[in-house]
Amino acid sequence: MNMRYVLLTLSLGLAALWAQNGATSKDWPSYGGTQLAWRYSALDQINTSNVKKLVPVWQFQTGDYAQGLQSTPIVIDGVLYLSTTHSQVFALDAATGKMIWQYKYPMPRGAGGNIQNRGIAVGFGKVFVGTYDDYMVAIDQKTGVESWKVALADSSQCGCSITGAPLLVKDKVIVGEAGGDGAFRGFLTALDAKTGRLAWRFYTIPGAGEKGNETWKGDSWKYGGGATWMTGSFDRDLNLLYWGIGNAASDMYSANRFSGEGEGANLYTGSVVALDADTGKLKWYYQEIPKDVWDYDSAYECLLIDRPVRGVMRKLLVHINKSGYTWVLDRTNGEFLGAFPIVDNHTWLAGITEDGKILGRVEPVEGKATLICPGPDGGKSWNQVAYSPRTGFMYTPTLEICSDSVSREQTPVEGRGFLGGTWSHRAPAQGPAYSHIDAYDPVTGKRMWSVRYKYALLASMLATAGDLVFTGDPEGYFFALNARTGEKLWSFQTGAGNRGSAISYSVNGRQYIATPTGWGSIAGRGLTSIWPEAENFRPGSTLVVFALPESGQ
Amino acid sequence: MRGVAGLLLMAAMLAAQPSAPAGGERGLDVFNKSCATGYCHGVKGTPGGAPRLAARGFDDAYISQTVRNGIAGTGMPAFGTSLDRADLLAVIAYVDNLNGVTPPPNPFAMQREARKLSPDAQRGRQLFADQVRAFQRCSTCHQADGIGIAVALPFSSVPESVAALRQIATPHVETATEEGDSFPALALNKSGAQTKLYDLKTLPPVLRTLPKGAVTFKEGSAWRHEAMLASYNDRELEAILEFLRAVVKP
Repeated sequence: MNMRYVLLTLSLGLAALWAQNGATSKDWPSYGGTQLAWRYSALDQINTSNVKKLVPVWQFQTGDYAQGLQSTPIVIDGVLYLSTTHSQVFALDAATGKMIWQYKYPMPRGAGGNIQNRGIAVGFGKVFVGTYDDYMVAIDQKTGVESWKVALADSSQCGCSITGAPLLVKDKVIVGEAGGDGAFRGFLTALDAKTGRLAWRFYTIPGAGEKGNETWKGDSWKYGGGATWMTGSFDRDLNLLYWGIGNAASDMYSANRFSGEGEGANLYTGSVVALDADTGKLKWYYQEIPKDVWDYDSAYECLLIDRPVRGVMRKLLVHINKSGYTWVLDRTNGEFLGAFPIVDNHTWLAGITEDGKILGRVEPVEGKATLICPGPDGGKSWNQVAYSPRTGFMYTPTLEICSDSVSREQTPVEGRGFLGGTWSHRAPAQGPAYSHIDAYDPVTGKRMWSVRYKYALLASMLATAGDLVFTGDPEGYFFALNARTGEKLWSFQTGAGNRGSAISYSVNGRQYIATPTGWGSIAGRGLTSIWPEAENFRPGSTLVVFALPESGQ
Repeated sequence: MRGVAGLLLMAAMLAAQPSAPAGGERGLDVFNKSCATGYCHGVKGTPGGAPRLAARGFDDAYISQTVRNGIAGTGMPAFGTSLDRADLLAVIAYVDNLNGVTPPPNPFAMQREARKLSPDAQRGRQLFADQVRAFQRCSTCHQADGIGIAVALPFSSVPESVAALRQIATPHVETATEEGDSFPALALNKSGAQTKLYDLKTLPPVLRTLPKGAVTFKEGSAWRHEAMLASYNDRELEAILEFLRAVVKP
């Protein structure tokens, strides 16, 4: 028995004693389940012993088929709220699927960009949804009538849009922005939930005269990217809001933006930031990818867990970056505690030192393709991990897809594409592209089990107290794994590819598992260049809901 | 119709980068910068995040219409207003070529010839929507020349001078009160089943829908247009007026 194992065992025991409230129960109140982003339900009516009996009990077709259904439903008091690609929102009876109301956002004519929507927030009697043309809309939770609406930017100018789910923090709605592969300067906006009035805004790139601006060359900060396109987390005790910041732009060419001055490079792109939730003021940041040239967004979910590290209990922020590495930080102060890869193929670096320095960077060059793993789709896409406090494992959907990347100098035009190069999908040098679902010790990075899959897994993970992990694949199968072993216990052909995020909830004591189905998204469609048969992954937009047969049946 | 829209969506996605011949080097360059990236179309019209463009049997009319106007409800943007005429024609010719079509010699007159703005007016246009000023810019509430958020009514005239711009009277801004909270408001509908108003207490303005009777209005308010101009100096406002004179049709 080695030392690491002893520590691990000890850590699991302690974790159980020091209970955090990251689990959901009858409701699924927030994008990541709770504000801690565990995607873990404490419901255990459906468990390893009976999951084989799981049957579909209702389904709901949204009729909005573009880009598939990428959303995470929200459930509160027996009502399920669901958003679709074009920012339509439905309120459904969570036990039967019967529609209570529908809100249809009037999409602008001739809109450009990538139209998608990954979720909503619900609270203060309102449902909050972002739109493609960069409006934030509040809808009356009971009636579906618009309550307020506010433009956070002129989308035709910035090329930005709201695709992520907002996060409700105390009395504010926090909203991120997509658009960081264009000439755009990222920001995070907080609105008063009741009135829609601006509470604060945090620019992810410091302005002229602000600390950190010196890490940008000349005026490059004005169009330096740093989108906030996924959803952050919130620690109520620390009153800190955590958000992942996207890549620097131009994505693959850094010579015109890297100043060589200050600490870090191109702040706060490629970073996790911690903000005072009331004021939006920066408390700390940790830059995972200084001077990014790979399109390695740090935009993904911030998993907030309390676990011992080297024998000392710590408040952690576990964060997977597009680069296929996971950073483990102390979320009280941003201290680097470790990093580990979740991908088998990571050719962009030689390694990360004990104090967090990236060694042996392999960067794209001008005029010739360089094989880089992972590619810009990431070692994981935006679909989310889950964490079970029962097993102590983090469950990850991991991609082994590389790219041939070429960098190129580009002059920014506000709101237009600003990649600074091109890339194409490539398989890893050792063999075909693939993906895998793994269980990790989220502190040590020890892989506890792994299940391989021949295509790309682009659906989120859901963990439950029934010791189950649910997710779906692009071929349409939605399935359950044993959370302790990875053994596949059940699967169901939903009819369309899975690119959304499943949830669990209960109504009148009956546990449900609901999964969005319908293939789409940029990463999803791009797969045809690596798997021609991906052309046949089926689009759609249907929520499929499962439960155990009712007793007596 | 849904199916057609879906098909078009597959056939179209967003903007930005590279690959081969007709339309010349320029067409290739514009395609590389505007159409072909891993997120959108691929190089030489191969599929990327967006569908394949090469050898699809598209004709010139379809290509030019799609490049210029985009496809509503999809990720395919309209390049007609963002590319200059020469770039637009070059990239259309390039995609024509990918489909084995020879572009007509003088394809289609641009609906909108790029307007010639004076350097001052050009600077004014940039200032009008200057992103560095966050919400402290004209385009937070005004739309002109296709940029900005149309909270205020379209411009019907341009103030004579910077002084006149600062002193613009705003009689339509009233004081609204809801549950003891008073705020400057621009009412859109006071008589319907619901009250609709722009709440001007903070920037950006919030379009709020409130139950009938939930809000009371009082004429006049402490809101001043001049306060909204605080981020600009006189020179900058002069340039903005120059821009407005060039684009506002009385």
